[in-house]
Amino acid sequence: MESRRPPPSPLVDSYVVPGDVVLDLSEMTNQTIKLGTGLRQECDTIQATSAGMLRLSKPNKYWVESSQKRYIPSVEDTVLGIVVDTKPDNFVVDIKGPNLAFLPVLAFEGGTRRNIPKFEIGTLIYARVVKANSIMNPELSCMDVTGKAAEFGELKGGYVFDSSTGMSRMLLSSPTCPVLEALGKKLSFEIAVGLNGRVWVNAPAADTVILVSNAIMRSESLSGIKQRAMVENLLERLS
Amino acid sequence: MENLRWRPTVNERKFIEHALQSDLRVDGRHSFDFRKLKISFGREDGSSEVQLGETHVLGYVTAQLVQPYRDRPNEGTLAIFTEFSPMADPAFEPGRPGESAIELGRVVDRGLRESRAVDMESLCIVAGKHVWSVRVDLHILDNGGNLIDAANIAALAALSTFRRPECTVGGDDGQQVIVHDPEVRDPLPLTIHHMPIAVTFAYFGEGNIVVVDPTYKEEAVMGGRMTATINSNGDICAIQKAGGEGVMSGVVMQCLRIASVKAADITSKIKKAVDSYTTEKALKKVKRLPASLPQKINVTDVTMENKGDGELETQTVKASDVQNISKGDEDHRNMKGNSPLIGDRFAKHKQTSTFIGGPSNWDPYSKGVSLSSLRISRLPDPATTSKASSHEEAQPMLTESSNAEVKSTSSSGAAGESEEAQEMGSPKSLKDAIKPKHKRKKKRSDRS
Repeated sequence: MESRRPPPSPLVDSYVVPGDVVLDLSEMTNQTIKLGTGLRQECDTIQATSAGMLRLSKPNKYWVESSQKRYIPSVEDTVLGIVVDTKPDNFVVDIKGPNLAFLPVLAFEGGTRRNIPKFEIGTLIYARVVKANSIMNPELSCMDVTGKAAEFGELKGGYVFDSSTGMSRMLLSSPTCPVLEALGKKLSFEIAVGLNGRVWVNAPAADTVILVSNAIMRSESLSGIKQRAMVENLLERLS
Repeated sequence: MENLRWRPTVNERKFIEHALQSDLRVDGRHSFDFRKLKISFGREDGSSEVQLGETHVLGYVTAQLVQPYRDRPNEGTLAIFTEFSPMADPAFEPGRPGESAIELGRVVDRGLRESRAVDMESLCIVAGKHVWSVRVDLHILDNGGNLIDAANIAALAALSTFRRPECTVGGDDGQQVIVHDPEVRDPLPLTIHHMPIAVTFAYFGEGNIVVVDPTYKEEAVMGGRMTATINSNGDICAIQKAGGEGVMSGVVMQCLRIASVKAADITSKIKKAVDSYTTEKALKKVKRLPASLPQKINVTDVTMENKGDGELETQTVKASDVQNISKGDEDHRNMKGNSPLIGDRFAKHKQTSTFIGGPSNWDPYSKGVSLSSLRISRLPDPATTSKASSHEEAQPMLTESSNAEVKSTSSSGAAGESEEAQEMGSPKSLKDAIKPKHKRKKKRSDRS
C-alpha cells in the first residue's frame, strides 16, 4: 500500500501558475523531496510560486522552469559573466542577476597567489555558480567539482549576445536544438551558452559569426520545423 | 543601480570593429542602411509612435493660448520636452535629465524651431496678447540606439497630425478670443513648411569607418557620432557633433551627402504615414444616412453586406439617391473649382462618382433641415452604394474625396464660408440630380 517512493506529481512536465498545489504531503511519510526554484512548502502542500513548467528529476527533485530575460542564480548553473571590477580577493562579475557575483581569484585550476589571472574590465568568463541565495552575492568558480579547469575561464574573441533563460536551456538541450543542428550542417563555429541568458559565438570568419548569432536570436519563438526553415532560408540568401 | 548598467565586453568591442573593417554590421545591415521604420498614430490628433528597429519613441503635441514673448509679439512658440523613461534603459535615472537627454532635446529643437519648419506667425491670434504655444513631448520608451533620429521623426509625425482648435476674435472690445469646440468647428492643422530629418552617423576606428543609424551596441563601441538635420530640399538645418573622435572634413561632406538622400526617403515615409492616417480619420467622420429616405430605384448592393459594418446593414439607403446627390455635389464642386484632382478622377470613374464627402447640402428630400444637422449628417459611405465598382476601387475614391474635404475645410479657414457656398449650390444639385440619374440608369443596365 505504501510505496517506498512517492508517486510523482501529476503536474510534472505541464505548466503551473503561482498557487497551484504540486504535491500533497499529508499522505507521505518519511520521504525527502528536494525543492528547486519556484516551489515553496505551505504547511502540508507544496505550491508553485512562479509560472512555468514543472520538472522532476528522479528520484525526488522538483523545480519550476520559466523563461525570463533576468537570471536568478542557482547553484551548479554554468553561466557567462562579464568582469566589472577586480578586488584583492575576488573578481566582481556581472551575471545578469539581481546582484553582482564574486569570483575568487584562487578559484582556477592550479591557482595560487602567485599566478592570479589578469582579467581586465569587460572580459567574458565562463564559470559555474557555487553559492547562490537571495541574500548574498552569488559566488562563482572556474573549476569543476574535481578541481579541473574543464573549459571554464576566459573566452577570447567571438561575439556575445543576450537571450532569454528559456532560450539558453533550449540551446543546451539534448538532442541538439534544431537551429544549432541546421547551422552546424553547413557552418563550423563554436558556441558557449550561459544559463543566465548569454550566448557566445566564435568562428574564423566574421560573417559566419553574424549569421549564427542572428539565426539564434530569431529562433526564440519558432518551433523546430520553422527554425530549420529559417536557417535554410538565411543560408540560401547569403550563399 | 550600478550593476544594472550594460557594459560591452572586450569581445564585442573587438568584433564589431573587426566586422566593420569588412563592411559587415552585426545585425546584417549595410553601412548606410536605416533600420525598419514604423510610424503609427494614437487616437488623438497629434500623438505619434515611432519604431526604428528596436528603438521606440512616443511623440505628443499639445497647444495652449499664452502671451507671446516681448520681442516677438506676433509669433507663437514651440517647445520640445523629452522624457527618458527608466523603462527604456537601466542607465536612465528618473528626475533630472542627463546629458544625452538634454542633447537630444536641443538637437530636435534646433531642427524644428530654428529652421522655421513650423510656421509661427500663423499661430498668432491677437498680436501681443494671445498666441498659441505648441508643446511637443517626446517619451523614450525603448532605447535601441539612435534616439535622436527616432525622436525627430516622432516629433514631425505628431506635429503633422496635430490639430489646434479654431478661434475667432470677437467680444465687445474685439480683443476677446473665443476658442471653438472641435465639435463645432473643425480644428486646424499647423503649417509645416518643410520636414527637417535628423540622420545620425557613428564613427569607428579612427574616424574612417562610418555607419548610419547605430544600434545600442554600436553606440557603446563607437568612437564618435555626428547628427545632420537635413530636409528633402537638401538644406542643412542643423549639424551636431559633440566631442568624440576627430573626423576628416572629406568624410563629413560625404556624410552630409548621404544624409540628404536618407532625408528624402524618410520624408516620403512620414508623409505617407501621415496621409493614410488623415484619410482614415476623415473616413471615420463620415456618418451614415438615416433610414428615412424614400426609395427611388432599388439597387441591391451585394457589397453592402460585405462591409461588415452593422450600421450599414440597417440602412436602407438606395444607391440612386446617393448617386444623384453626389453628382450634384460633384458639379458644384467643380464649379467651386477647389478640387481639380477630384474632377479628373471622377471623369475616369463615372460609375463610382458617388461620394464627394463635402458638408451636406445635397438633401433635397427633407424639408427644413437645420444647419447643424446639415453639418453633422453627411453622405453615406460610398463603398456600400457603388455596386459596380469593387471594394478596392471605391477606397481610393474615398481617400481622394476625403482629402478634398479636409483640404477644403482647412483652406477656407472658416467653416462657415464653405457652408455658405455649398448652400448656394444646393438648388443646382436638385436639377442635376434628375438628369444624371437617367445616364446612370443606362450605364447600369449596360453593365448588368
